[in-house]
Amino acid sequence: MTREKWGDVLVFVALTVGAVAMIGPFFWMISTSLKPMAEQFDMRLIPATLTVENYPRLFRIMPFHLMIWNSFKIAAISVAGQLLTCSMAAFIFAVVRFPGRDLLFVVLLVTLMVPVQVTAIPQFIIFKWLGLYGTQAPLYAPAFLGGAFGTFLMRQYFQTIPIELAEAARIDGASLSRIFFTIYLPLSKPALAAFAIFAFLFSWNDLFSALIYLPSDPEKTTLTVGLALFQTQYGGQWTLMMAASLISVAPIIIAFFLAQRHFIEGISMSGFK
Amino acid sequence: MKLRAFAATAFALALSTMAHAETTITYALWGSPTEGEVWARIARAFEALHPDIKVNIQVADWDSYWEKLKVQVAGGTPPDVFAMDAPLFQDWQSRGVLLDMKPFIDKDPTILDGVYPITLKAYTTAGGIFGLPRDFQTIVLYYNKDMFDAAKMPYPTDTWTYDDFRAAAKKLTLDKNGDGTIDQWGFWDGGYDMEPFWGALVWAYGGEVVDPAAGKTLISSPEATAAFQVLSDMWLTDKSMPTTEQLKQFSYDGFLSGVAAMGMSGHWSVPDYAAVAFHWDVAPMPMGPKGRATSVNSAGFVIAKDSKNPDAAWAFVKYAFSDAGQTELAKIGFAVPVRKSVAESPAYLGQATKIDHGLYVKALDYAHLKPVFKGYEEWSSAVGDALATVWTGENSLADGLAAAVADGDAALAKNK
Amino acid sequence: MPLWRKTNNVADLRPLGRERWWVLAFLLPTLLGLILGTFGSIFATIGISFFNWDLLTPAIPAGISNYVDLPADRLFMKSLVNTLVFSALYVPLTVVLSLAVAMGMNRKLWGISAFRVAYFLPTVSSPTAVGLLWTWIYAEDHGTLNAMITAMGGNPVSWLGPKMAMYSVVIVNVWGAIGGGMIIFLAGLQAIPKDYYEVARLDGATAWQRLRYVTLPALAPSIFFQAVLTTINAFQAFDYIYILTRSGNGNSTMPTLVFSIYRTGFRFFRMGDAAAQAVVLTLIIFAMTAIYFHLQKRWGEPG
Repeated sequence: MTREKWGDVLVFVALTVGAVAMIGPFFWMISTSLKPMAEQFDMRLIPATLTVENYPRLFRIMPFHLMIWNSFKIAAISVAGQLLTCSMAAFIFAVVRFPGRDLLFVVLLVTLMVPVQVTAIPQFIIFKWLGLYGTQAPLYAPAFLGGAFGTFLMRQYFQTIPIELAEAARIDGASLSRIFFTIYLPLSKPALAAFAIFAFLFSWNDLFSALIYLPSDPEKTTLTVGLALFQTQYGGQWTLMMAASLISVAPIIIAFFLAQRHFIEGISMSGFK
Repeated sequence: MKLRAFAATAFALALSTMAHAETTITYALWGSPTEGEVWARIARAFEALHPDIKVNIQVADWDSYWEKLKVQVAGGTPPDVFAMDAPLFQDWQSRGVLLDMKPFIDKDPTILDGVYPITLKAYTTAGGIFGLPRDFQTIVLYYNKDMFDAAKMPYPTDTWTYDDFRAAAKKLTLDKNGDGTIDQWGFWDGGYDMEPFWGALVWAYGGEVVDPAAGKTLISSPEATAAFQVLSDMWLTDKSMPTTEQLKQFSYDGFLSGVAAMGMSGHWSVPDYAAVAFHWDVAPMPMGPKGRATSVNSAGFVIAKDSKNPDAAWAFVKYAFSDAGQTELAKIGFAVPVRKSVAESPAYLGQATKIDHGLYVKALDYAHLKPVFKGYEEWSSAVGDALATVWTGENSLADGLAAAVADGDAALAKNK
Repeated sequence: MPLWRKTNNVADLRPLGRERWWVLAFLLPTLLGLILGTFGSIFATIGISFFNWDLLTPAIPAGISNYVDLPADRLFMKSLVNTLVFSALYVPLTVVLSLAVAMGMNRKLWGISAFRVAYFLPTVSSPTAVGLLWTWIYAEDHGTLNAMITAMGGNPVSWLGPKMAMYSVVIVNVWGAIGGGMIIFLAGLQAIPKDYYEVARLDGATAWQRLRYVTLPALAPSIFFQAVLTTINAFQAFDYIYILTRSGNGNSTMPTLVFSIYRTGFRFFRMGDAAAQAVVLTLIIFAMTAIYFHLQKRWGEPG
């Protein structure tokens, strides 16, 4: 073998060790969730007794099906809002020249640095004032006001579309909105798919805002808050807690396996080439 | 079928609401769904006597209850009647969001007769009466009889001192399966809040906890230090108490999960403990050098100042505070009624769980009132955080107590 | 600077007549978000920080006292120190490890796509759920990690106890962040023209020299971006830490700035103090970013 080949073997072994550390915990999660309560401190990776009893029990204790639905609903609405408003802004930034455009774009990117916690207090007051505290609206409404990450991502992609297409359509008398909806959006499906996945993940995994706006009511709250509540009430029942965690991770893992290519393209697309 | 019955009831309810021009009031409380059901029963009994008033019960767990309440009150849409925890009472009263019930009470002066005075004390302020006690909690010692039997040890008695208690806890700490790690501890406590345990311990050693008026936390006095020394020795020297990290593996209540032979708690634990597989009983708190002490705390009713229906709200409070309401409450088994007549009646003493329920009432004789002042929650968490560094061994007892006093005083100053 | 590189298009459209309205309409949500959501909130937060306000009673002007009191607030200072130490460990570890993994992945190896999935999985999983998983792994006597250590004859470690909590929390956070960084570096690596390496090899460059003179300079923009992003994330880290270090009284054994803001504002309802802390947090993040930009300028544009 050449030196290069030996290097490959070495790297392969190192990556394998790393990969075990990365996904090992997930196997442990699955394994624990399939053990009976009495064997939760049994350290075998393959359970001595296999059981699925933890899952039905979970749903009897807390309305996890409602929380899954709530999380899904909030995430789906957020995705719709983000896709629409971010790509609209991105289109303008990518295609149209207007005074102050670059400055505005920089200002938008700077907001990436502002922690959620800074905006949390005034937003809380606004939503309270609007009478929306305790509803799900504060969790998805902000998604309809654009966002730096999505606008940036979509702008990078829109720039790869030849401007001549837009110019030709314009000469034919198409309006900007027509150009956007009939040319740019259809050509950007891969980017939209990638961004949709990110927006979904972001909403699905959010704990901080959900904790503020829907701290308790199991009928209305999200899966993340449900899990955090579950931790305080069923601490020590590890088989149950792992089953609950798995329920929250599984949809994302499945979606990830199905859409792996989009995920990775999506990040690569943010344009660091 | 169940669903249909529910729909029918809901429909009937909706109809009846439309038929009468009723007043609807809301009563919000923290607690488990079971407690909510009991309160719904009390509300139905009340509605039977007052057909023109409908009571809506809102139950939430402790943390979210307070979070939600603050926002509702701040937004001008408070529940008409809500449950109050005595230590937090001043936080609310001082902000002017509670209704003075004195005018109502003046019309009904006998209403306070037969109520344990110590429970009234927490709600008495110079400017009026802004709350009435609902029920109270004293702390007693719970012990796992099976663990005592297995160790062939006599059960705790009312002559126990904290030395006896510590020695027993040490003996009951075992590595049952011989794997080198302890799997049964003699005693458990969280070590954060003064209730259930360390407040009573400090008092039994002749110390004091806090003087809110002077803005002083008093737990570094020689007496209090001696008390904390016992706790610190049990935790760090005897290792007869599980650390927080160890406890987390089982559940936050070490007694309930069957890994600790003894625990200190109030009557609120009885329904949970009633469901466990082992045998247990209760005993009075052990005695310290300055005698026996426990802490008493009460939950109460308050009426929101912004309530649209103060008269209906008062009618409900009055009913729940009466013999009839208190008798219903006694049956839940979560707390001790504030009326002597009810606390000494079969309704309370003859509950399904066969323990000496009278012990919680007798404990009033040596109970100290859990402090009531503005900023209690923040003070408690500041002190609890600092104390926790002692239980983990991060700080010496003296340093930890000094930090607790400094942080506690800072929290008191912030809430002046 | 790729972040706000000018558009590639030579000729952008210049809006005429009615098209100007379309431009405005398309930007409206974003503009509203900026004005109401971000900048409005920043100004409101700054404003609140000069008051004492509990949401229940009218706000009382407090001047700069909320800021002046911060250094004396021991719990705030503890959170600040924790956050700084956390960031100092988390940022370099995340950047270096994800770069190393990306370089390994950039080879033509068997099963590379499976590796990619494995390394990326923690990044996409809900930190709340995975946080619960790690509390189980870190548990004191019966935890997975300690069981492994005792099986090998070692002494159990109190992973979330006071001595180790910081490192344990950093490990979990890095574990969850490697995947994201890896993908960005991988994209950067794959964009480096192969002939650069050929030339370097012909010149007899060692592996180290190739890394030093070809790979790293070409990756400089990615590294810069990743460092900025990781730092911002570090100062805002919440989920894992909240789940892992929650204590019996609703506090945290390792409070961070974000936790302190959450607790002060939403549990104790001292909005003014919480706002002052939030402003300090923002200033730190801006200062860190400014430092990165300064360093980047000093060490020149990528070659």
